Amino acid sequence: MASSTLRNPRRSSRPLYQKYLRFSNGLFMGLCVASTLLILAILAMVMLYLLSRGFTHISLDFFTKVEIAEGMAGSPGGMSHALVGTGILIGLASVVGIPLGMLAGIYLSEYSSNSWLGAPTRFIADVLSGVPSIVVGILGYELIVVPVGNANGYAGALALAFIMIPIVARTTEEMVRLVPNSYREASIALGATKARTILRVVLPTASGSIITGIMLAVARVAGETAPLLFTAGASRFMTFDPQQPFPSLTVAIFLFSTGPFKDQQQLAWAGILILIGLIFLLNLVVRLTVHRVQSRRFAGA
Amino acid sequence: MAGLARIGAISVILMLVALLAVLTTAAWPSIQAYGTSFLFSSDWRPNELNVPMKDGDGHVIIEDGEVVMETIPPSFGALPVIYGTAVSSVLALVFAVPLSFGTALFLVRLCPKKLIGSVSFLIEFLAAIPSIAFGMWGLFVLSPLLQNYIEPGLRSALSWIPGVNGWLFEETVKRGSKVVTSEVPLTGSDLFTGGLVLAIMILPIITAISRDVLRNVPRAQIEGTLALGATWWQSSWEMLRYSRSALFGAVMLGLARASGETMAITMVIGNNNQIKPSLFAPAQTMSSLLANEFAEASTEIHRSSLCEVALILLLMSLIFNVVARWLVVGKGARTSAAA
Repeated sequence: MASSTLRNPRRSSRPLYQKYLRFSNGLFMGLCVASTLLILAILAMVMLYLLSRGFTHISLDFFTKVEIAEGMAGSPGGMSHALVGTGILIGLASVVGIPLGMLAGIYLSEYSSNSWLGAPTRFIADVLSGVPSIVVGILGYELIVVPVGNANGYAGALALAFIMIPIVARTTEEMVRLVPNSYREASIALGATKARTILRVVLPTASGSIITGIMLAVARVAGETAPLLFTAGASRFMTFDPQQPFPSLTVAIFLFSTGPFKDQQQLAWAGILILIGLIFLLNLVVRLTVHRVQSRRFAGA
Repeated sequence: MAGLARIGAISVILMLVALLAVLTTAAWPSIQAYGTSFLFSSDWRPNELNVPMKDGDGHVIIEDGEVVMETIPPSFGALPVIYGTAVSSVLALVFAVPLSFGTALFLVRLCPKKLIGSVSFLIEFLAAIPSIAFGMWGLFVLSPLLQNYIEPGLRSALSWIPGVNGWLFEETVKRGSKVVTSEVPLTGSDLFTGGLVLAIMILPIITAISRDVLRNVPRAQIEGTLALGATWWQSSWEMLRYSRSALFGAVMLGLARASGETMAITMVIGNNNQIKPSLFAPAQTMSSLLANEFAEASTEIHRSSLCEVALILLLMSLIFNVVARWLVVGKGARTSAAA
């Protein structure tokens, strides 16, 4: 059971071996602390650099102007079109992804106990959340962009929805499962149907934590670039028509940062700052609400 | 309600079916044209090539004073990108796994209770930073740093070791009949940089899962080793040994993520379709190839070949994910996307 060094009690009484034990113990304990510090240092380094570059280059123009081509008066302009574009894409993706994901989650938790469908669905949802996002982009291209003939906002939104659904499904399932069975029994004892029980008792009880799950899914797709490259494409204009190529913050950042122009790269830094700020806020809210939900649950139990 | 909920569940299954079906259909022309040689050929040439026709002895044929040309059709082989993906992912694991396990042990056994929550949050926040942000950081910070300081430093520190110089810092190229040895130019956009950026990106997931796994090692197991007189490190080693299969699963999940990562790697790997033994040579991964070429693929066979690369990438990530989940399930770790 124990490692080989423990098997020989005589060996462990030798002073040299004692020294070795003390040394290796200290060494590895130190290494564990050091690796944690190193990871935190990397995080701090990355974050501080991104934030400082972002704050240096952010301006009011960033929020109010659209991209102005290099060489034109007022270039590089701003990224308001990309901000709006990302907002619309996330909105459209949510309209498809959240209901489908929640339905799948409710099925997994409430209906799958004596069905063949439960286990494979759960497994596939887990596996789908690990599919490389660029592959999802290619699926969107082949399924929508090829028949339609041009890159468009709907294709981008559906690609994002594809990424949201498994996340929302699994978190909904986990959160709904936490609702105590006595709630369901009480509702059914009062004569409610199963559907009514789910809609009026189970979902409202779990609503807080389901919303945090949805926010995590939104935070995840807000930062996605790869699935949008070939589906939504890119646009330099403020557009509200999802049938046309659609701008997004992440794709604009990618094009700016890999492009040749200094002032566009500076816009990209500001864009990264906004993106990370948004994602950080979503994560923070999730963390705070999860704590509240958990402490309330324990208080009630 | 039951019917609606079932639609949700079935749509999840249909999503996977659609993914496999659509990609296979789109890749079919390439599968038919190249068969298994697609996997082993390192020729990636999207355009036709005009070259002088040669006779049996290798002499250029000249007719009526003009060189006779022949057209070589485009050809596609995925070996360079498979190589690039494999090497950069393995490199990422080499950097990330020891750090992750060390941090997981710290969080489970050493960390003061008050700090556990915030340290965990910070490390998990690293996972929430979008790929494009790491890409920009890699492109503008890490890559110049490696090019100007670290890679030259490594060269002067390591090249005295026999074999290392030829492997990492020199390349031999055939120029006609001569074999020329030259230094690998250190650009900072190479497999090594790609591996480093990927390592940072997979640290959080490996750390989070192995922390959960180690936390669920039975108390009796730990107390048993301590009662036998084990030191802290010896009993920690026991914990690692006890949960080795689940830890291997955590590493597999990290590998799955590293191999599918796109934006960050596209920005730092140098995007060159070649197989060079040196880690400091620019390369290309499956995902970066797709990001670079898919939008510009104009011919049917080019797009189809890219779809076949995507299909290989998908199948690979499915295998990694299935094996990993099979190993980790029931060990108390969250493996879903929320983790």
